[in-house]
Amino acid sequence: MAGVGFRKWAQALTKSKGTGISALLSGCRAASGGSKGSLPGSYPTTPEEKAAAAKKYNIRVEDYEPYPDKGEGFGDYPKLPDRSQHERDPWYKWDHPDLRRNWGEPMHWDFDMYIRNRVDTSPSPVDWISMCKQLFGFIGFMLFMFYIGEKFPSYQPVAPKQYPYNNLYLEKGGDPEKQPEEVKNYGI
Amino acid sequence: MADYREAPLATRPRTLDPNDYFNLSPEKRRADEERAALRANLKRQYQTQLNNPHRKELIEDPALTRWVYARSNPYPHFRPTFKTSLLGFACGVFPLFALYYIFKTDRDRKEEQIKNGTWDRKFCLTS
Repeated sequence: MAGVGFRKWAQALTKSKGTGISALLSGCRAASGGSKGSLPGSYPTTPEEKAAAAKKYNIRVEDYEPYPDKGEGFGDYPKLPDRSQHERDPWYKWDHPDLRRNWGEPMHWDFDMYIRNRVDTSPSPVDWISMCKQLFGFIGFMLFMFYIGEKFPSYQPVAPKQYPYNNLYLEKGGDPEKQPEEVKNYGI
Repeated sequence: MADYREAPLATRPRTLDPNDYFNLSPEKRRADEERAALRANLKRQYQTQLNNPHRKELIEDPALTRWVYARSNPYPHFRPTFKTSLLGFACGVFPLFALYYIFKTDRDRKEEQIKNGTWDRKFCLTS
């Protein structure tokens, strides 16, 4: 039983066309993961390739637009609009409600950037110009006021500290026999 | 609100989008219906698998598999062009030499100052 299995394995090994450890061990690809036709491939050049790629990604042929072929490593992956998941309808019954995505829907290349914890491209409540004016107005005003404060400081009036006992004559090491000069720090 | 200008890279609110009001045509309707048909097909597949009482395993999502595969295997489609090599150079080679130069000169200057005795330890707490 084991001998028969070993012989079959040796025969498969000699006939296998693949390279590498996987071919040595089994002589064929694993059945897990997508089949070769369902995984992303290289940039489509002919219209048939484009149609096949659109069908593979579950997009209409007219909607399918691959990334331009500039050698940046995208292959035939579709270029979907750069919209965040924040913008999707919160009330529709998505298959995955936290991701706001249906099963089998083509994912954006930067999907993990556009999830609801991260980048948000939804429209701002106030328009861009108002936002700029408010932010830079506030920052500018605060910088200006701090600058004025530096130029014209304002604080409680202070004087050097005054010490008793003739400016602490004995404590500062003065001679106990000698009579120090009288220091008057006040006036009544 | 007529002169609303959206933030760069953000979208316009749907109520201010002119396409919603002006560019409606039967072709757009047909396109929307085709997209809805694709979406309904995928929904049907998912619901069939989800509600199958004999299913014991996870439902595998081929779109997710494709996305992961595409993101982790860009090299077969990589081609050294002017832009990609420039980017590679700017991110991989230039910081190496630039940081070496910056750190070396800064440390040499500090060493010089310490040797001369002109090193000003501003926030030193131990002396």
